[in-house]
Amino acid sequence: MYFELFSVLAFLSRCHCLTEKVEKNENTCGLLKQLLESTSLSVEINKKGLHREVVTTVELSPGELSGVRALLLHRWPRGVFVDPYQLASLRDQSDWQILVDSAIDLEVPAHKASGFVTYVYPTPDGPAPRLIKVTIPIHGRYHEPSFDGKTYTSVDIDAPELLLRTEKCTQLKDLEPHTVVDAPCTPDNSSTCSWVKLQHQQDQGPVSLQFPVGDGSLVTPVCGGTLLVTMICCAALSKYMWKHRII
Amino acid sequence: MEGLISKLTEKHVLFTASFAIRLALVAYGDYQDRTMVVKYTDIDYHVFTDAARFITEGQSPYNRSTYRYTPLLAWMLTPNIYVSMVFGKMLFIVCDVLSGLLIYRILRLRGLRSETARRVSSLWLLNPLPMGVSSRGNAESILAALVLGTLLCMEARHLMWAAILYGLSVHMKIYPITYALPIALMLRTQETRSDGGRWRWRSFVGFIGSFLNQKLFLFASVAGGVFCMLTALFYYMYGWEFLHETYLYHLTRRDIRHNFSPYFYMLYLTADSRWSQWLGLAAFLPQLILLLVASWAFHSDLVFCCFLHTAIFVSFNKVCTSQYFLWYLCLLPLVLPHLRLSLKQGVGLLLLWFAGQGIWLGPAYFLEFEGHNTFLLIWLAGLLFLIINSSILIQIVAHYKPTQAPQRLKVE
Repeated sequence: MYFELFSVLAFLSRCHCLTEKVEKNENTCGLLKQLLESTSLSVEINKKGLHREVVTTVELSPGELSGVRALLLHRWPRGVFVDPYQLASLRDQSDWQILVDSAIDLEVPAHKASGFVTYVYPTPDGPAPRLIKVTIPIHGRYHEPSFDGKTYTSVDIDAPELLLRTEKCTQLKDLEPHTVVDAPCTPDNSSTCSWVKLQHQQDQGPVSLQFPVGDGSLVTPVCGGTLLVTMICCAALSKYMWKHRII
Repeated sequence: MEGLISKLTEKHVLFTASFAIRLALVAYGDYQDRTMVVKYTDIDYHVFTDAARFITEGQSPYNRSTYRYTPLLAWMLTPNIYVSMVFGKMLFIVCDVLSGLLIYRILRLRGLRSETARRVSSLWLLNPLPMGVSSRGNAESILAALVLGTLLCMEARHLMWAAILYGLSVHMKIYPITYALPIALMLRTQETRSDGGRWRWRSFVGFIGSFLNQKLFLFASVAGGVFCMLTALFYYMYGWEFLHETYLYHLTRRDIRHNFSPYFYMLYLTADSRWSQWLGLAAFLPQLILLLVASWAFHSDLVFCCFLHTAIFVSFNKVCTSQYFLWYLCLLPLVLPHLRLSLKQGVGLLLLWFAGQGIWLGPAYFLEFEGHNTFLLIWLAGLLFLIINSSILIQIVAHYKPTQAPQRLKVE
């Protein structure tokens, strides 16, 4: 009899634990949902010329942030690039870490390059802070010369995606309409986790950067002028060298 | 003032002071790197160090992107990883001061008095440009020392050593290969001009035959041997990547980004067109013609010839950055004592050279850091810089008075 009582009690306690777990799960997932709904993200571009800074500011809404991890996912077009060596030297001065998804060729022109993705972890070792501010230095690539008289070309930088996850919430599918994305868990790219993507407001559209391009319609006068001047200098220098030659 | 200059250029004072100043700059550079945002050390130094790190891990130095030098340099800098980061800079400043010593020795061999030679050497030893370049971590001083060493051995008639150093310098950077022609013209059997210079078949055959002598054969085989041995060794170790990054990249380099070269805009606009190859060839012709004329006209004065070669090569090259200027600036002190230019004329030419760079740097700054479309201005400034460089070279050639009496200056 004691055995039956004991087994019934054990069964009941397990049920209770499970429901507690489900409740806890629902609580943290609800927390995550709340964060996603009231978080704001903004992007601004600093500096001018071929070297710019993309500053992303995220304000996480009030709530319990322990255990929540944040990740900023930038999708870059081929018109710009980041210098991995510059980023490595920045690591000492900032608390965020960055992971680039592919090898970057620093010298190739835009039409021969391809876009790439970067993952920025604002606090790789701890919970996400209330205010995240990340400055990424980018550089413009040389673009193909234009043949229609335009002196500048536009490169559009899309706003980054904010990804959140927490250890405690595993039922990410319940957080509709926010989509679930797979991304590296940590900057060392050792494992992949499921993250929830913030559906940000439509008013944060892409930012447009203007880079100067060469004027392809001037190709004939430029080639002609260059070759003429170099040949004249060559002829003049040859003449004087021959005139003053040492026998 | 005169007394102060003599005191400063006393031999042990001069070399000690120049080394001490460079040492102080390296120390300051270390301080600036640690405390300020703008770094003193050049990006190239980090490239060398990263490549050396790859070597210490048993990998190829070419795993470091933009490492486009010989593996020998990365090997030499492995103490950067084992001992201290600053080892490479120490090596560069030692080579820099050594270059100054070599300049002094060459000037003495060419007949200058000790005091004059020291004063001219101080133009390199106390010059802020090579000081800054070496202390920032650029490896140009190693090549300067190798080229000056080659010239010193040639002047002193130590052919074996000259050939070894020459092979080594061509391995490190390609441009000294242009010195092969004046060296060959100088080492060939000098025949006497008998028939007033009229071309005959026999004189042509004789001309070709004059290249087949023992001295030239010795030089060519030793220099070629050193070069081939090093190439074969590194090809065995690192394969095709070594050949591509160290040599082929520089030979086929079409950097369309803005630089001092007069061809920059032309190459940028035609980068993808079918004329690109022909234009590249057209750009190479003035360089080739000038090098041939310079070799023939001045081969008997090897030092002057090499200076002209390098200056022409850099000015007419398809890519030209300020680092390249050091290649001929290290040979300028050897040429200066024989220039019949007044101080005013000399300073005027120097200021003109700086003005040419300044006129280019203006629009280049506005393009890169302000985002204005200044491509046309940069192109015109590049052409102007070429005209200025050519004018300066013409003035140098016209006012050069060679050293030894047997060489008669032929003026028509």
